[in-house]
Amino acid sequence: MKQNNMLAMILAGGRGSRLHDLTNKVAKPAVSYGGKYRIVDFPLSNCANSGVDIVGVLTQYESILLNSYVAAGRRWGLDAKNSGVFVLPPREKADADLDVYRGTADAISQNIDFIDTYDPEYVLILSGDHIYKMDYAEMLAHHKENNADATIAVIGVPIEEASRFGIMNTNETGRIIEFEEKPPVPKSNLASMGIYIFNWKLLRQMLVEDMVNESSHHDFGKDIIPRLLNDGRNLYAYNFKGYWKDVGTIDSLWEANMDLLDDKNELDLGDSAWKIYTEDVTTLPQYVGANASIKRAYITQGCVIDGEVKNSVLFTGAKVGANAKVLDSVLMPNAVVEDGAVINRALIADGVRIGKGAVVGSPDSEHIELVANDVEGVK
Amino acid sequence: MAKAFGIVNTSGNHIWVEGMQDYRPIGAFSFLGRYRVVDFPISNMSNSGIDRIQVFAGSNPRSLIEHLGIGRHYNINSKRGKLQILFADNHSKNDIYNTDIAAFAENMDSIQKMKEEYVVIAPSYMIFTQDFDVLLKEHIDTGADITLLYHSVHDATTNCLNCAYLSLNRQNGVLALAKNRGDEAERDIFMDTYVMKKELFIELINKARRLSSMYTLSQIINIECEELDVRGYKHEGYFAAITNFKSYYDANLSLIKYEDTKDLFDEDWPIFTRTNDSCPTHYFDTAEIKQSVISNGCIIEGTVINSIIGRGCVIKKGTVIKNSLILPNSYIEEGIHVENYVVGKHSKVLHCKELVADAETPGYVRRGDTL
Repeated sequence: MKQNNMLAMILAGGRGSRLHDLTNKVAKPAVSYGGKYRIVDFPLSNCANSGVDIVGVLTQYESILLNSYVAAGRRWGLDAKNSGVFVLPPREKADADLDVYRGTADAISQNIDFIDTYDPEYVLILSGDHIYKMDYAEMLAHHKENNADATIAVIGVPIEEASRFGIMNTNETGRIIEFEEKPPVPKSNLASMGIYIFNWKLLRQMLVEDMVNESSHHDFGKDIIPRLLNDGRNLYAYNFKGYWKDVGTIDSLWEANMDLLDDKNELDLGDSAWKIYTEDVTTLPQYVGANASIKRAYITQGCVIDGEVKNSVLFTGAKVGANAKVLDSVLMPNAVVEDGAVINRALIADGVRIGKGAVVGSPDSEHIELVANDVEGVK
Repeated sequence: MAKAFGIVNTSGNHIWVEGMQDYRPIGAFSFLGRYRVVDFPISNMSNSGIDRIQVFAGSNPRSLIEHLGIGRHYNINSKRGKLQILFADNHSKNDIYNTDIAAFAENMDSIQKMKEEYVVIAPSYMIFTQDFDVLLKEHIDTGADITLLYHSVHDATTNCLNCAYLSLNRQNGVLALAKNRGDEAERDIFMDTYVMKKELFIELINKARRLSSMYTLSQIINIECEELDVRGYKHEGYFAAITNFKSYYDANLSLIKYEDTKDLFDEDWPIFTRTNDSCPTHYFDTAEIKQSVISNGCIIEGTVINSIIGRGCVIKKGTVIKNSLILPNSYIEEGIHVENYVVGKHSKVLHCKELVADAETPGYVRRGDTL
C-alpha cells in the first residue's frame, strides 16, 4: 500500500451467461484463456506490475474455484508484508443482514469496512473479466495531474460500433462532460473500459448515500458516474492505447484466443517487462510426435501433439492424436482429440474427449461451436 | 515418512562435463528444456515425504542457488520442512581435496542438528525417480547398516564411465565398490544413493577424515564393506548418469519420444521445477516440427526435428535444427543449419550458417556466446 496509496477492487461476481456451459461451474473471471491463463490473471498481474499491492476480489457467482484461485496471492507476487489478495464474497455483518451484491457499486459499498482498514487515498475499480495489459500507476499519475475526483479509462472503438458501449464525451482537456450509455447516435468513440480511479473519501460518501437510495441500481455506470457529472465533479478520461478485450461470448472468447496467433499480436504475452502470472502447473514440456504438423499455433506445456494443428490455441495438457486435425479451434485444458478426429472452428471445453474419427464443427459455420461434453468416436 | 532427512550430494571430482561445468554444477544443468537436473533428486525426496533437505552447492553455485531459492516449488512444507543450501570453502574444480567428505565435514554442525534418525543421500548428476520411503523401509526390514541403490546396465563400456559399480553376492550383499573404466558391458552401477543411520554417517565422515584427506564417501564405504552389513537395492525404471558431455546430450535425447517418458515421469510422482512465468510457445506459419520437445516462451518460425528446445528460444525462418539441444533463451537467426549440437544458454547464432557435428561427438556452443 505504501507504494502509491491506491487499493484495487476487482469486480468478479458475474456469471457470464453468454459463455453458456463454460461458466456452468466457474465464474467468468476463472475461464481459461491464452493457453495457460485465467482471465482474472490479467487484472491481478496488472496490479502486481503497477505496484498496487492490496487487491480485493469481489466474488459471487460459482465462486469456490475462483475464491481459492485468487486467494493464493503468491502467484502474482502479492504476498509481501502489507500486501495481499483478499477474497470478498457477500457476508453477514454485525449491523447488516446477508445480502447478495445488488450491483457493481453495491459490491464496493458492502466492503467499505474492508477498504477503510487500509485507509487508502485512491481506490481503483477493475473488472475481473477483461483481457489487457495496463499500467495503473500511469493512470494514477494522470488522475493526480488533472486534480480529478475520478478518472475513467477509455478506449477508442470504431465509431460504427460505438453505440454498443458506454461512451464518454470529453472536452479538449480530456474532461468528461457527458456520459451516454449505448447512444444510438454516438458523439464520440471513447468507450468506457469499466476501469475507474476514485478519491476514496468522495466515493465513500457517494456509496453511503447510494446504498439507501431506493431508486438506484447501485451501479457505477448507471448511478455513480452520472451523479458525479450532475454534481459538476472533475471527471477525466484516461485514453488507453493497446489491446483490450471483453470476452462476453463464445465467438469473442475464440477470437481473443485467435488474436494471439498474429505474428505481431498486440497483447504480446512474451514481454518480459510486463509478464502475466498464473498458476504454476507441474507438467512435461510440449511433446511433438513424428506425424505432427504445426502451423500458426499457440501451444503450452503439457500438450502432446501427433496430428495436425493449424490456426489453433492449445491449453495445458491438451492432446492431439495421430492423423487428427485441429483447425481454427481452441482446445481448453486437458481436452483430448483422439486419433483421426477432425475439429473445425470449435472451442473444446476443459477435459472434454473427442473420440476416434469424430468430426466436430464445420469450416464455414457462422458461429464457433462450443463442445462441453465428450463426443463418442466413430466405430 | 520424516524418519530420514535428505542430502543432495555434488558430483565429485571423478566426473567432469567439458564446457558446461565451467559455468555451473551438473545439478544446475538444464534438462529436457524446462527442468534442471537437481529437480529430480529433490522431487524424489519431496514425493517420498522427506521435507528436510540439505543441498550441497558445489562450484560456481550461482545458477543452482537462484533455481533452488527457498525451495517452495518443491512442494515442501514451508514451516515444518526446510531446504538448506550448504557450501564448502574449498570448491576449486578438479581439486583432489575437493571431496564430498570434505564438504560434509565442513558442515558437520548442520548435519548433526538434523533430528531424523536416518539419512538418504542422492546425487545431483543422475536422472531417475525412486521412492525413498520404499528404500528406507527395505533398509530397516533387512537390518542392513547401509543400503546402496544400483542400476543394472548393459552398456557400461560406454555408459556411466567413472561411476562406481557394485560387486554383489547372491544375497545382494555389497562386496566392493570400484570405478567403472568401461572394461565390461554388464555392470551394477552404483547410483550414488545411500541410506543409513545419521550416527553411522557421521562416524564414517570422521573415520574418512582420519584416514585420508582424499577419501570420498563411496571409498570409505568400500573399505568398510567387510565390517559393515552393506547391501544393494536394485532400481527399476529410467536411469541416466551425466558423467561427460556426450552422456548429457544422450540423456536429453533419450526422452524425445512421448512413449519413452513413461519410464521416468508419472502423474503421481511429479517432478517439480521453478516457474519462469513464460507465455506459451508461438508457432508461425512457416514452422515445421517433428519428434521434438518444446518448452514454453519460444517463437518458432523454422524447422525442428528430433531436438529439444529450451524455454524462451527463438528459431527464425528457414533455419533447421536437427538432433540438437538448444538451451534456454537462445536465438538462432534465419537460414542456419544446426545438427548434433548443444547450444548453450543465452547464446546467439547469427553469422555462422552451419553448425554441424558428428553424431558421436556432438558440438557445443558456449553459454552466452555469439557466433
